[in-house]
Amino acid sequence: MTGPTAPPAPPGTGPYGVGIGWRPEIAGFVAGLPGLRFVEVVAETVAPAGALPDGLADLRGRGVTVVPHGVKLSLGGAEPVDPARVAHLAGVATALDAPLVSEHIAFVRAGGVEAGHLLPLPRSREAVAAVVANVRRTQAELPVPLALEPIAALFDWPDDELDEADFLTEILDATGALLLLDVANVHANARNRGGDPLALLDRLPLERVAYVHVAGGAERAGFYHDTHTDPVPAEVLDLVGALCARHRPPALLLERDGHYPPAAELRGELDALATAAGYPVVT
Amino acid sequence: MTAPGEPPPGTGDSLADRQSALVAALVAGGPLPPGFAPGPVAAARRALLRKRAGDVARHWPLLAAGLGAGWPAAFAGWADGRPTNGSLRDGWDLARELRAAATLPPLGAEELALREAAARYDGLTPPRPRRLPAAARAGGAVAVQLAGRVRLLRPAQR
Repeated sequence: MTGPTAPPAPPGTGPYGVGIGWRPEIAGFVAGLPGLRFVEVVAETVAPAGALPDGLADLRGRGVTVVPHGVKLSLGGAEPVDPARVAHLAGVATALDAPLVSEHIAFVRAGGVEAGHLLPLPRSREAVAAVVANVRRTQAELPVPLALEPIAALFDWPDDELDEADFLTEILDATGALLLLDVANVHANARNRGGDPLALLDRLPLERVAYVHVAGGAERAGFYHDTHTDPVPAEVLDLVGALCARHRPPALLLERDGHYPPAAELRGELDALATAAGYPVVT
Repeated sequence: MTAPGEPPPGTGDSLADRQSALVAALVAGGPLPPGFAPGPVAAARRALLRKRAGDVARHWPLLAAGLGAGWPAAFAGWADGRPTNGSLRDGWDLARELRAAATLPPLGAEELALREAAARYDGLTPPRPRRLPAAARAGGAVAVQLAGRVRLLRPAQR
């Protein structure tokens, strides 16, 4: 499916330009994007010792960079990260010849109970120490750099000692990790928890951004939900423009996780992202 | 392991204890921990249920399709207060409960019969593939497994 104009990137280069989250349901669509140079795959869905899913193997064959994106490591958990989960993430990075991996500043389980999704941490010194310890444990086993993604949350802990920018910067400074900035999360947090999204962009270490996430969401019962199953709202695209005006990230990735729209609609979202960021269209 | 500056575990206010209390409030019917805003936490609880409903629907597409527009509410009603055991087991437990209540839709019955012919699931530990030939029934559907190959022998009653 490679178009005649697609210059294949050499294997394992850093994320560049506009990418999309690879999911089995849209593997055919992704394979048909001629200018695509990077995708992300949910790390927990890849078996490092087994065969890669067909679509992913084809993309790697084209020289498309594939970044493993972990969702269940629970780096923000008070307990140490599970060594088996760290080993799995490292194995996936090797199997995909990935230039980096990413995970979240969040916890997903506590006391042996799974939350089922990413939960926010208190912005406290104690939480910073827990995240930093887990990130260091993880980095010690990874063959490549780690990028950390701040999450979207609907609520705050009652005892925040730091604001979002200081909380994130302390973690990044203490670990040397890269930043995976999700502008939809920035929008969602500002909308639901208050704060000025542009002021946050002004205070984050944007030179540390490895790539950016962009996703859709929806208003429901007074909250903005970062659903990944709805279109990207104009406010989020505007934030992409504002981010790029400050410091253009090397790459931006569209996340879509369900209710997949017709291909033309998805292509339109990728094109809008390319336009907002000033990168070549990949469609 | 205790991080520097962290109170010892078990005192009730360590980060570990407070994370456990929050998770319990969100997915296990636990009380709202002190100081949290009830409205936003309730919204997060509902959002987690919707996310789980989508995840389980990917593992049990026929069950979800059989319930149609009623799927999110049916799943949330079953899952609220019940922590996940993973999407495969969550869907399996729900399908069995609907079978027991005779409210399992035909598509879901066929999916359950196929799954139960292929794997043994005790409701407590992860399902394991069956090594011996087996048949399974749900809502009139009959599925058989022979040498690892599973097929539907008879569709569910419609």
